Amino acid sequence: MKGLLEDLFGGIGKVVLSSIAGLGRWLVFVRETIFWLVRPPFRIRLILKQMEFIGVKSTSIIVLTGLFVGAVFALQTGKAFAIFQAETLVGATMGLSIAREIGPVFTALMIVARCCSSMAAEIGTMRVTEQIDALETMAVDPVHYLVVPRLIATVSMAPLLTALFGVFAVIGSYIVGVYLLGIPGGPFMYKLYYYVDVDDFLGGLLKAAVFGFLIALISCYQGYNAEGGAKGVGKVTTRAVVISSVVVLITDYFLTSWILEFISKGGGV
Amino acid sequence: MDDFCIEVEDLHKSFKGEEVLRGISLKILRGKITVILGKSGVGKSVLLKHFIGLLKPDRGRVFVDGMDITALPPPELRKVREKFGMLFQSAALFDSMTVFENVAFPLVEHTSYDRNKIREIVLNKLALVGLHGVEDKMPSELSGGMRKRVGLARAIALEPEILLYDEPTTGLDPVMARSVDNLIIETQERLKITSVVISHDIMSALEIADTVVMLDKGKVIFEGKRDEFMSCSHPAVVEFMGVR
Repeated sequence: MKGLLEDLFGGIGKVVLSSIAGLGRWLVFVRETIFWLVRPPFRIRLILKQMEFIGVKSTSIIVLTGLFVGAVFALQTGKAFAIFQAETLVGATMGLSIAREIGPVFTALMIVARCCSSMAAEIGTMRVTEQIDALETMAVDPVHYLVVPRLIATVSMAPLLTALFGVFAVIGSYIVGVYLLGIPGGPFMYKLYYYVDVDDFLGGLLKAAVFGFLIALISCYQGYNAEGGAKGVGKVTTRAVVISSVVVLITDYFLTSWILEFISKGGGV
Repeated sequence: MDDFCIEVEDLHKSFKGEEVLRGISLKILRGKITVILGKSGVGKSVLLKHFIGLLKPDRGRVFVDGMDITALPPPELRKVREKFGMLFQSAALFDSMTVFENVAFPLVEHTSYDRNKIREIVLNKLALVGLHGVEDKMPSELSGGMRKRVGLARAIALEPEILLYDEPTTGLDPVMARSVDNLIIETQERLKITSVVISHDIMSALEIADTVVMLDKGKVIFEGKRDEFMSCSHPAVVEFMGVR
């Protein structure tokens, strides 16, 4: 019994210690990235290339998911609100939830799936094939060269993609609400306009930028610390996607409570 | 008096509790080819990575041109690294770039040369390693030997003072391996630089070395001229020579 308890607490202790050590290493990596963020040379070409990959090349998937997410949420809320004969509030509900929650969270998750997995795999492959060592031997800092452009691109593209997602989610919800559920188009848009404030959009965009910062750093960090060949690259790619997704959802709660408290005037309308 | 460009003092390095280097001390002669020999897994590549500051020792010091690089902050370490060129075992070419972009990379990063000048240098370095008309190819389109040549062209692009080769003949057929040996000798003669070659290829070592260092179980068991190495009676050296 004593041995069993020792094993149990020993195991828990090891997990806790390795988690703290891992967090510490990640924070050192974050500090190093921020240190390089403001130092020349500013590799504009690399930043634009990453912006194209993360932003421009993600537009079709963002438009598609935005349309269908808006459509399905409108369908669900429309059916539910019909019970209380409050269908005209579907537009306002959709607008608020898209601007505040659905837009930034879904967009971040799509960026994680499409771009962060690729970032982790690309940097991980560079690590295990000694390309990162080669950068260092050529007196080029790998964090400056590989991580900084990806971070800048993700932080700047995430809010833009969130705005795009929001526009198409509203279009999707309008099509389903007005043409399928028969909600009058005027009240649908009027309530949306009336209840959704600029602060709601700004809060959503701020969330998107924070998510972009976190998921880019998590994915780059995972790739940067890959070891053990193709299997190791696969492992860090999976880890990058899982950790980034979970962090987006957890951070969303804390950001939401902070935004409702300090930014949104309505305090939660 | 001998002039040394790299000096290693009592170097120790462990990974996950396993001691790989156990008090290595050696000196690398300037302007000569030094081959560091040893079986696989004795810590040759680990030692080489200490020369350029890619790894920090647990104990001991590494001097480059008299400067202890183990305690240098990153900006000064980067300056020291500019003295080095390195050819990796796998060539470590950037697989998202063409051959031209790979060789041009250090020039773009560290010089303010215009496009024409960079093009001229890149083509010149590629010609020096015997490559013509491959500049637009991707690394994946090249053979192992060609990749090593491109890696060497990239390593000498900035005309470094010291050139490190990590297992340059590993994975090559005997003909290609001898051709890489000749390339190391030619590069040495043309550029008058210091070359350090990590190898377990005894044939190659005896072909190119001015000085030989042999490692066994994380320690230096021989350090001296090539002729002295051939007549060394240390059991591990004799065993290694017997593989020839």
